[in-house]
Amino acid sequence: MKKISFRNDVLPLKNELFRLALRITLNRVEAEDVVQETMIKVWNRRDRWEELDSIAAFCLTICRNIAIDKMRKMENQNQSLADEHDAPDQSYSSNPEEQAMQQDRIQLVRRLIDNLPEKQRSVMQLRDIEGKSYKEIAQVLDISEEQVKINIFRARQTIRQKFIETEKYGL
Amino acid sequence: MDYKYIEQLLERYWQGETTLQEESILRAFFCQPDIPEHLRKYQPLFVLEKEESLGDDFDGRILGMIEEEEQPKAKIVTLTSRLMPLFKAAAIVAIILTLGNAAQAPWNYGWDDPKDEYAKFHQQNTDSVNLLNPIQAENVNDSALAPKPEAPQYIE
Repeated sequence: MKKISFRNDVLPLKNELFRLALRITLNRVEAEDVVQETMIKVWNRRDRWEELDSIAAFCLTICRNIAIDKMRKMENQNQSLADEHDAPDQSYSSNPEEQAMQQDRIQLVRRLIDNLPEKQRSVMQLRDIEGKSYKEIAQVLDISEEQVKINIFRARQTIRQKFIETEKYGL
Repeated sequence: MDYKYIEQLLERYWQGETTLQEESILRAFFCQPDIPEHLRKYQPLFVLEKEESLGDDFDGRILGMIEEEEQPKAKIVTLTSRLMPLFKAAAIVAIILTLGNAAQAPWNYGWDDPKDEYAKFHQQNTDSVNLLNPIQAENVNDSALAPKPEAPQYIE
């Protein structure tokens, strides 16, 4: 088996880990902390790297667990999670520039995803943004592939529903 | 242009039945500029990019944190460098032996002034020559018959 190097195999995962952490915690600072903790944890378990099927899945699993822990702690401290995703910005509807509108729509979709339950959010992030297979996602979340499919299905249905609603009523 | 295929794919996407490849087709489709009106609303969903990222200083920080305990990387060890300690030990032994042997000579002959040493040697020689007078010299050959000559007296 290939020798795993921290600098070449683990460190480049930082952005992927960061995006997953951000999807879960919805807070950039927290997400960065999560990635940092993940890296340290992965490093401390370096004697087990050789036994792993996929170092990426291992890192993502640790990252998700830490992020969920952090989120729970934050909830315990009664901190608001709403800082990053406040109410949709209404100003864009009057913006004539298509590009700016597009940007706002992307923000809107992000917000839609961010409002999903954590599991669906993580699944959606890993599938639609990172382009991972069901098998890999199942490995990361430690659930069956069927469960992954169900979560993807629910997430997409919710997003679609939101799209339809938006279309009907506007924002 | 016929968008049936895309619509079909989109429908399957909502059902969660698309493969990764089909999803990348959708993504590619939605990335192009001219998208029909009825599909445009879904565009944002497929152009979500991996835009959030961490700065480069993050790498340095993490590496700094783990470097404190980082083990030395595996090195390629050649036979020569592997046996180097042995060579060193052998060289030290050789040096000690050489120095030891070299030191034997001064210990044997002492460190006295060569001038005095020469004078002493010379004196000794002349003494023994003086002691060995002609008669004694004749008797040296048949010492069994003659009474043993007195041992020469060395005067220091």
